[in-house]
Amino acid sequence: MKFGIFYEISVPRPWDPESERTVYERALEQVRLADELGFDQVWAVEHHFLEEYSHCSSPEIFLTACAVQTKRIRVGHGIVVCVPQINHPVRIAERAATLDIISGGRLEMGTGRSATWTELGAFCANPDDTKKTWDEIVRCLPKMWTQERFSHEGAAFRMPPRAILPRPYQKPHPPMWVAITSPGTEIDGADRGLGWLGLTFGGLEEQEKRIAEYRRRIKVCEPVGEVVNEQVNTVNFLYCHEDDATGVAKGRRLQGTFGYMAAQLLSAREAYPTPSYPALGLLPQLRPDADSPGDSVRVPDGLCIGSPDRIIEAIKKWESVGADRVNFLLNAMEVVPQEEVLASLRLFAKEVMPKFAKTESAEPAAVVAGGS
Amino acid sequence: MPLSGTLDVAPRLADAPKLDNYDTEAWEIAGVELLSLTFEIDDRQMTAALPPALHPTIPPVAYFSVAAYPESPIGPFALAQVRVGCRASALPRGFLLRAYSDSPAACDALGRRWGYQCLPADVRLRRYHDRVVGTVAVDGREVLRASLLDPQPISGGSIFHVSTMNLARADDDGGRGVLVQVDPAYTFHRAERGAPEVATFERDAWNAEGIEPVWPVTATFVRCDTGFPRIRYVLDAQQPARTGTRKLR
Repeated sequence: MKFGIFYEISVPRPWDPESERTVYERALEQVRLADELGFDQVWAVEHHFLEEYSHCSSPEIFLTACAVQTKRIRVGHGIVVCVPQINHPVRIAERAATLDIISGGRLEMGTGRSATWTELGAFCANPDDTKKTWDEIVRCLPKMWTQERFSHEGAAFRMPPRAILPRPYQKPHPPMWVAITSPGTEIDGADRGLGWLGLTFGGLEEQEKRIAEYRRRIKVCEPVGEVVNEQVNTVNFLYCHEDDATGVAKGRRLQGTFGYMAAQLLSAREAYPTPSYPALGLLPQLRPDADSPGDSVRVPDGLCIGSPDRIIEAIKKWESVGADRVNFLLNAMEVVPQEEVLASLRLFAKEVMPKFAKTESAEPAAVVAGGS
Repeated sequence: MPLSGTLDVAPRLADAPKLDNYDTEAWEIAGVELLSLTFEIDDRQMTAALPPALHPTIPPVAYFSVAAYPESPIGPFALAQVRVGCRASALPRGFLLRAYSDSPAACDALGRRWGYQCLPADVRLRRYHDRVVGTVAVDGREVLRASLLDPQPISGGSIFHVSTMNLARADDDGGRGVLVQVDPAYTFHRAERGAPEVATFERDAWNAEGIEPVWPVTATFVRCDTGFPRIRYVLDAQQPARTGTRKLR
């Protein structure tokens, strides 16, 4: 089991000239500590226009700062929105390769397609098309990184032969992942040899079935790249405290705040009728049975909040259903003071990490040779 | 925390319907035709249009709808609505600015039973092969012309209709007003999607001062079984939905 942290960079109102800088500086301090403590990965999302919820529109720059301020922790670029109106595929490949070089080969490459009308609508991207364009782009990225010259005639983009530079430091290329929220995307990932980058919280029983199917399908995959990344990376909240009741209470506040903010966004499914988005983003996972505005946000099972013993039990459950990694959201809207975030990380590293098989940090995901 | 509505509810309450009670029986209606358009709206009014109980969506949107109900306990009627997209706590909703119906009996019943602020007008829904058009005219003056252009069949399962929040007066509201949640189920028999167009939108007729459609999102036209359910939840219009919601059943 490997552990990571991930960032949405949520910035609460009221905003002043220091608000965003403060949140970024705190995040970087957390990343430096996580690196020292032995966490394996730091991930940063790509979101646009998501007021308060996420001010992380240029994650590659944040992750570059993470890379130069750390020594071992791997940097997860994810997910990168593989929608050509938002990111030209060549720019995705170029930025990722540069980040891999700067980090000394520590890049993990996450792919996805955005789930909000807020973002897709602003870039005039048709929600009907995002699955198709994601498919086209993830097939192209490994070729861009490995072919001497790359050319393409497709629906998402076309280009004459060019050398796409620089090349990634990792050979043949960095491990690739796909964001898993909508049901069925795990099958897409498995069939393409991509790692599972889970973005839904909790729900152990459902996740177990989906992970089992992912494991079964990836054994017979046709990989998009030159390696198969058979890893299941889940996401969770972390608030670790010596006193269980305190940890649970503060962790629930963190989880509730995140869910509340996520719910304010206009999902693609809600705004634009399309079979391409069968799920309402994160909301159903956070509030599966709620139909009353007065219902409190449900606490999913398997959350890593509370005492070290409680968190150990939660992680063991995740391990038992087939997860290889857990990424933790440490804060939302700055509801957890910075000193408490750092203390939670330290306590987790001291009391929880040793209970799980220690793997060498700064190693790429378990990949097996694929070859297409 | 997210932005909240800043609408001064008190002046609106003067015109808001008075509920008979909360024990409304459901109307289940088959064969309803429903045209619905979604537009992003000018964000300068994104909080001013909503009561304090509700949050604006990001980005702010408005829903324009015209429906034809072929039967009901008070006979057939057409109903047009303009709503502002919002969140009640974390749940997607549409706050009704005003409604019109071609049936005075429907205006009366919908107001007393579900809190619709509904006025009589000439409300029409017409389906053509290249478009679906909903119009509302008040005393001969057209106040809404909303169209779906180039309809294409889609699965009804792809469509998400948000529930409505109606500002009303009630015996037990302490003069603060209640938001009545109207959350019907839908069984779709046919569904189409197309481009939305609003050719006429007279804001003064809709309690919609400052509501400016600025960016088209989508339009749908469905034939479905739906209706008006029993009221399950009412909210204090002036406090956050998370703490101001009352479950009736």
